[in-house]
Amino acid sequence: MSGLTPDAIMLGLGELVKLLPIAFALIVVIELFTWFLCAKIIRTKFTLAYVMLAPGIVGVMALIVFPFFYNMFLAFSNMSMTKFLTFSASLQIGLQNLIDVFTVPVLQRTNIGTLIIRTIIWTFVNVFFHVTLGMFLGILLNRPLKLKNVYKSLLILPWAVPEVITSLTWRNEFHYQYGFVNIILKSIGLEPIMWFQDPFWAMISCIFVNIWLGVPFMMVITLGGLQSIPQDYYDVAQIDGAGGWKQFVNITLPLLRPILTPATALGIIWTFNKFNVIYLMYQGGPIEGTHILITAMFSAIFENYRYGFGAMYSLVLFVMLLGISSIYYKIAGGFKEVSE
Amino acid sequence: MKKRLFVWLFICAMALGMMSNVMAAKTINLVMWTQQGDPVLGEIQRLCKEYTKKYPNIRVEVLNYSTEDIRTNFQTAAFAGAGPDLLWTVSDHAGPLSVMKIINPIDKVMPRGYEKRFTDFSLEAVELDGKVWGVPISVGNHLMLLYNKNIIKEAPKDTDEMIKVAKEVTIDKNGDGTPDQYGLLWNFDEPFWLAPWLGGFGGWPLDGRKPTLDTPAMVKTLQFMHDLKFKHKIVPMECNYDGADALFRQGKGAMMINGDWALFGYLDRRTRKTVDLGVDRIPKVSETGKWPSPMTSGQYFMFPSYLTDKERIKAVRGLVYQFESKEVQTYFLKEHKRLPSLKSMLKDPALTNDPIMSGSMRQLEVGRPMPTVPEMRPTWDAMRPEMQAVMAGKITPAQAAKNMQKAAEQGIREMNK
Repeated sequence: MSGLTPDAIMLGLGELVKLLPIAFALIVVIELFTWFLCAKIIRTKFTLAYVMLAPGIVGVMALIVFPFFYNMFLAFSNMSMTKFLTFSASLQIGLQNLIDVFTVPVLQRTNIGTLIIRTIIWTFVNVFFHVTLGMFLGILLNRPLKLKNVYKSLLILPWAVPEVITSLTWRNEFHYQYGFVNIILKSIGLEPIMWFQDPFWAMISCIFVNIWLGVPFMMVITLGGLQSIPQDYYDVAQIDGAGGWKQFVNITLPLLRPILTPATALGIIWTFNKFNVIYLMYQGGPIEGTHILITAMFSAIFENYRYGFGAMYSLVLFVMLLGISSIYYKIAGGFKEVSE
Repeated sequence: MKKRLFVWLFICAMALGMMSNVMAAKTINLVMWTQQGDPVLGEIQRLCKEYTKKYPNIRVEVLNYSTEDIRTNFQTAAFAGAGPDLLWTVSDHAGPLSVMKIINPIDKVMPRGYEKRFTDFSLEAVELDGKVWGVPISVGNHLMLLYNKNIIKEAPKDTDEMIKVAKEVTIDKNGDGTPDQYGLLWNFDEPFWLAPWLGGFGGWPLDGRKPTLDTPAMVKTLQFMHDLKFKHKIVPMECNYDGADALFRQGKGAMMINGDWALFGYLDRRTRKTVDLGVDRIPKVSETGKWPSPMTSGQYFMFPSYLTDKERIKAVRGLVYQFESKEVQTYFLKEHKRLPSLKSMLKDPALTNDPIMSGSMRQLEVGRPMPTVPEMRPTWDAMRPEMQAVMAGKITPAQAAKNMQKAAEQGIREMNK
């Protein structure tokens, strides 16, 4: 809250008030231009649709498409601290950046191979638990239960609390001497763990916190999917003598697939790129043991000023994610029902 | 009729808007970015308002960012050729920002010879290639020995005495096998806390722009730190900054190595119930007879290279004068425990009569300016994981020193590509 004084709030509101007429004028200009283009020059019957879409398209172009292509441009540049304002770009530099991504250590003692393996393990373990635990809780909550809304609210709570607060709170709970995790371990006769010193246990604690954060989302998605499955299917299956497991495998799972596939794909992308939990808990330490691809990229770009290298590195990440998501969609057949 | 009225109203509104723009053009709106949070941020805003009272046509907007954000956000802003008119930040930003050519040396804004009023050690921390890149606001940012007089009466003079005293006061009160009170606390996650000991053993991370990490001094330093934990058992098994700070505040640490930025926080009413604060130099290394030399830096004003408009430069200069006055520096010394950068204040009673601040000053005398060169960043990054590995008992100090050197050389090569 530092600095959030009444003066600062008024100043911010003042800036907003100044900005609003400019934004409004910009939208009017875009609309008029689109209208003129569509109605007077192209003479299309979809003029209204284009006029309505135009500001959104301009926003997407400015905030997503332009930065993406600019990043591609930087990937072929030698922009760094010493060439910050005087960098140049060429295909040769781009190729060298690409070679560097796979041959030069991204961090001090960690290369990209280790980071890829660690990120894949991190993503797989997290998403596996997000989906299985989320589905399990979703199915439980879909049954007739007393105080169902109370359970639902409690289970959604980790999702509602900002990630920053959750990560920092859990960080304290992993303290060697005063954290409750070690206190519990000691009380059941186990040795306390040095979470902050041992890279393996640090990573385990990060995974635990991310599972804690991610399960409610999958639970809500599953619950929504389950509520859309007609009860008749289960009734008919019961008449045919199908047990709970058969009903789950033959009715619940196939009918949840159109919902779970994109949700899982989103989960993969989010977890693959999860920055907050790792950075807030250990800043990639101890001994660089919790760094994954995305946190290492942040370190390379913003702490070591390797902008050209970092931009190429981010392109490599993009291609990897695109590949993983495509394979996943193909295997899971996520679009099957939609296209059929 | 209504339509015509509407058109006239619209024209009037437009005209008024344009007039207000013309009027506003005479006003200079300065933007200053600072990494100072509360309560200093409030003081900065108050002083800026006072400046506006003196010069009603100059308004100053103060924005607060974290130390890292101020650097990265400024880089982005400067790349686009826009951003704040003035930066209030730490000395180690001077290196990278000057190499990137996005800040100017101070003689582009301040009068020639202006730097002569500041202490030498405050200027050394922002000197690079024969130029001064920041106007010192306060000096320090250095580590020192803080001790709780409720537990030990006076600071130990050398490391042998420190270890002996610390062993006596490391106590397991409830018999659960883990001490409840420690002899010494410090953050062993960050190599900034390694630097004083390295100096005490006769080493330093950089020689000019070259890393000097694989040295006998580094091996001895790492061994010493390792022994404090595993042999003498006077520090907690895990100790990061927050952990050390919390234990000391609760009166569970006899000594702590921490920076001047934390002094103010240990003097509040609540902490005084558990901590009777004493400040002194980090004890002399018995083996070498040398004082540990913490890295010193401080807070500085830096000027963006795109600040070229004469009127704005004049306004910025005036603002700097306001903050660099003796009155303001005395106020920050008394109220916020900040060491002044003005030469004329070194013998000021406000400084010499304050036991906390004079202790801090004594430590500063044996400190060494943090290297301004950008090579310091990859050197820090190279030291961090190896130091953590030693403190986790994963590798030997000799191996860690070798790894550090290799990683630092590689990092510098990559950075300068």
